[in-house]
Amino acid sequence: MIEYVIKIKRKTKSIFRDAWVWRMAWRDARHNYSRLFLFTASLITGIAAVVALDSINYSLQADINNNAKELLGADLVVNGEKKFNKELQTVFDSLDYPQASEADMASMVLFLHNGQSRLIRLVAVKGDFPFYGKIETQPADAYSRMKQGSYAMMDETLASQYEVSSGDSIRIGNSVFKVSGVVSKIPGGGGLMATFTPSVYISLDDLDSTGLVQYGSRVNYKQYFRIASEKQTKETVDKIKPLIRKHGYSWETVEGRKEGLGRGFLSIYQFFSLLAFIALILGCIGVASSVHIYAREKREEVAVLRCIGSSGWQAFNIFFIQIFILGIIGSIVGSFLGVGIQQLIPLFLKGVVPFEIGFTLSWKSLLMGLGLGAVVSVLFSILPLVSVRFVPPLTVLRTDFQAGRIFSKTKITALVLIGIFPVAFAALQTRSWLTGLMFFAGLVAALICLTGVAMLLLMLVKKFFPYRAGFIWRHSLSSLFRPNNQTRVLMVTIGLGAFIISTLNIVERSMLGQVEFTGQENQSNTILFDIQPSQRDGVVKLMKDNKLEVNQVVPIITCRLSELKGRSIESLQKDTTDKIPNWALTREYRVTYRDSLHRSETLIKGEIQKKKTSRDSVWVTISEGMEENLEVKLGDSLVFDMQGVPVKAYIGGVRKVEWPKDPPNFIFVFPPDVLENAPQIFVTATRINDQQQANRFQQALVMQFPNVSLIDLRLILSTVNELFDKLGLIIRFLALFSIVTGLVVLAGAVINSKFVRIRENVLLRTVGARTRQITKITLIEYAYLGLFSALTGMILSLGGGWLLTRFFFEITFAFDWLELLIIGAGVVLLTVAIGWFNSREVINTPPLQVLRKES
Amino acid sequence: MSQIVLQAENLTKIYRSAENQLVVLDQISFSVEQGNSISIIGPSGSGKTTLLGLCAGLDTPSSGVISLMGFRLNTMSEDDRAYIRNLYVGFVFQNFQLLSTLTALENVMVPLELRGEKNVADKAKDLLNRVGLAARMQHYPSQLSGGEQQRVAMARAFITDPKILFADEPTGNLDEENAHHITELLFGMNKEQGTTLVLVTHNLELAQRTQRILRMKGGKLVQEVYSQAFGIGH
Repeated sequence: MIEYVIKIKRKTKSIFRDAWVWRMAWRDARHNYSRLFLFTASLITGIAAVVALDSINYSLQADINNNAKELLGADLVVNGEKKFNKELQTVFDSLDYPQASEADMASMVLFLHNGQSRLIRLVAVKGDFPFYGKIETQPADAYSRMKQGSYAMMDETLASQYEVSSGDSIRIGNSVFKVSGVVSKIPGGGGLMATFTPSVYISLDDLDSTGLVQYGSRVNYKQYFRIASEKQTKETVDKIKPLIRKHGYSWETVEGRKEGLGRGFLSIYQFFSLLAFIALILGCIGVASSVHIYAREKREEVAVLRCIGSSGWQAFNIFFIQIFILGIIGSIVGSFLGVGIQQLIPLFLKGVVPFEIGFTLSWKSLLMGLGLGAVVSVLFSILPLVSVRFVPPLTVLRTDFQAGRIFSKTKITALVLIGIFPVAFAALQTRSWLTGLMFFAGLVAALICLTGVAMLLLMLVKKFFPYRAGFIWRHSLSSLFRPNNQTRVLMVTIGLGAFIISTLNIVERSMLGQVEFTGQENQSNTILFDIQPSQRDGVVKLMKDNKLEVNQVVPIITCRLSELKGRSIESLQKDTTDKIPNWALTREYRVTYRDSLHRSETLIKGEIQKKKTSRDSVWVTISEGMEENLEVKLGDSLVFDMQGVPVKAYIGGVRKVEWPKDPPNFIFVFPPDVLENAPQIFVTATRINDQQQANRFQQALVMQFPNVSLIDLRLILSTVNELFDKLGLIIRFLALFSIVTGLVVLAGAVINSKFVRIRENVLLRTVGARTRQITKITLIEYAYLGLFSALTGMILSLGGGWLLTRFFFEITFAFDWLELLIIGAGVVLLTVAIGWFNSREVINTPPLQVLRKES
Repeated sequence: MSQIVLQAENLTKIYRSAENQLVVLDQISFSVEQGNSISIIGPSGSGKTTLLGLCAGLDTPSSGVISLMGFRLNTMSEDDRAYIRNLYVGFVFQNFQLLSTLTALENVMVPLELRGEKNVADKAKDLLNRVGLAARMQHYPSQLSGGEQQRVAMARAFITDPKILFADEPTGNLDEENAHHITELLFGMNKEQGTTLVLVTHNLELAQRTQRILRMKGGKLVQEVYSQAFGIGH
């Protein structure tokens, strides 16, 4: 036997120096655009979402920085819940800065032209407020006329709701004002607060004449200062700080407002970041899934190339070049599309944020989009593409030949990097590794749950396969299980979109359910408050005269905590080991006294002190939940500061309170014979079913008891609805990214499975199937897919919604089957439409032409 | 003495699964000299295609030695074997195996381009001209008939002036007229370029045009016949 021992010397060229792989990449890509559509579309959607959301975060931040002065309207504001005392007023007078004053409170307004009334926020102003920013009114002189006295102006929304025009008269308290105009923009105004309580503005000099400021009225007083420089502001704050603190007032500077707004928008940033993260990860799934299909389709081609001498790396490089270049193109398109979408988002945020969001081009976001696109297209394509390197050339002789498992360092490296990528991206977005990890863990949990539900559904379909159904129904269903199907990936991605939208719907329904108790019989839907003791009988009589049932007349005493479990509130605040939230320690409590439970309450621990003799201690009951917040148990002591009088009490019982049921409800309830002599106001509640009856009663109430305010809970219901409409629109718009990515994956899967479908259709046509039947099969298959995807998302959303309502919002879980069905139907319709759009060629092509193409 | 181009020594191929093992080739030994032609025949499942795959370095034997142009294929990496194939081997397959995204001309150019050679279009055009496809150079495989596709595959196989050509049922997918045309081209170009030919076929008539016929059955070489066409008995 002759044996040659020859060492071969093969020159290995790098991807940059091997012109052949670049030439082959171009030649092969010429006719493969549609095959890589899924890849590009997934990348574009993901990158567009990231750039849009990151840019909007950037714009929000920039606008907060630019608008902080205008939002505050001054350099310094001192505020408090009581009139500024003499000592403080003297200090204010000594400061040589322009000043303005404001007092605001809740009040009823009666529109004299139509007899309707409404609870509003009454703002009484004096001086040249605002020092920064502009008040925009219609007519332009409305503000100056109002400041002269006897005139009022109001928020635009309120005026249009009650059809108020300039010159109309309104009654506030004991005074009648002429309307000078409407306010379309005011520093610090607008936003969500304006939706809940619209404002009416009067001159501060007119406030006393209204007679609204009485004992128990909650009035906020503000003193605005315009100070020349930041340094002087700081000096002024330092000077008046001790006095402000001493008398229990607070202050805010522009810097403080900036920080406050930044904190307020933190959750919005994080929400946007989370959405961007989901969209990008979905895009990555789309990229990996499309490249996986692409690599599998290229198997035979690679085998031929290997046969005629191409190395594994050369074959890999051909397709890698294609994907990388398309990835760069996709990133550029996605980044610019994101910038385009960024301009749309402020339209949805209008009315939610208290300022107009401008368009600021964030180069950082744009560059991040480009970089991210390149990283994603490399990272998420390497893993599926690396299999190309190991395609055995023997495949040309035996198509079913499978190589054994091959260890690949590239594969392991890609896997590790893919694991790190989402955490790093989320950490970059949220600027916190911990939040990044939490995002990642949350996403993994959501995807695992979605995959689990999808698998369970598919398993159930297989188990209960409708063997007796007609051929078309059966065949369409079994198509979901064809080899190389993408059914599970599609169910997860489209399901994720359906999940976000349905969860939002469930939370919305549950929240509305909290205020929709108005529909229940015998429950109060109207609350009257700020009733002075002297007015109590008169108000009750008025209610009875109007044939309204008086559900309860409750005394209310305002107080604060001064000691808890023997320790002063100050020492608890200073104690860093203490976990009691500060708000629970310092808030104002509105308490009542009675010897029994209200119908919205159940006693779950301890007992109610029915009667108290002078020797007994005071035993109060606390609401469930607050007991945990304050970390108190039965027998623990508390000292309440009742307008300067300390009252020591002990926890005697815990009540479970159904807050929405028959309000008002209370955190602390005292026993009788303790607070009867304390300064108090009364609240009463009733139920009004008829709008005309409500109008008549409100009119009479405002006329007879101008300082008494009335909350119409039905109005709150419609306001909550309106709020959800605004917020829901943003969330739905953003959830659309997820749905779109899912549909892109679907479209890609349809395109990629085109040839399998063609083969099936040709076979069906050969054995006599008509176009109508094939069309039906295709449509039903997508309807199944849409249905299963919607079910996957919606089943999970029921669980997610329950968890959110139970533990996060702490409200009763509720959902509307009909609305969920509409969401499901929408997902099914979209899936069928996309599937149909991409399958037209497969359905309409004659079999002979198809056979020819196949060969 | 002519140079031995291909030498197989005790080639055995076993496919193992969890429960059992399947011996596809059992102790096959033979050699082929430069310029000779040899055909491998036998019933389906006799191991013909597996043997061809091993000889061409498309797979590795479970045991035994296979040398191609003096290179021990079974000790080489897959990439090195691919390099050897590019240097010395041409292929013609039953199902043509053209790259569907490349034109006829590009398909023919690929092996030389892989070597890094430049200005290969003229040679490819010349070969396509010789196989009668001058007018179809810019057509894609899907625009060509079966016979035309096989002629493109032939041009691709011969463009590297291979030392050895492996053909797996080259006329298996063609009608009689096209099969005749391809057979004539195959043997004509083989003779013209002095290429060694290893042919796997069911077609006895085609096999008899080669110098030697190896008959296989159940993974074993059961008969070696020198074709009468060359005036040599067994």
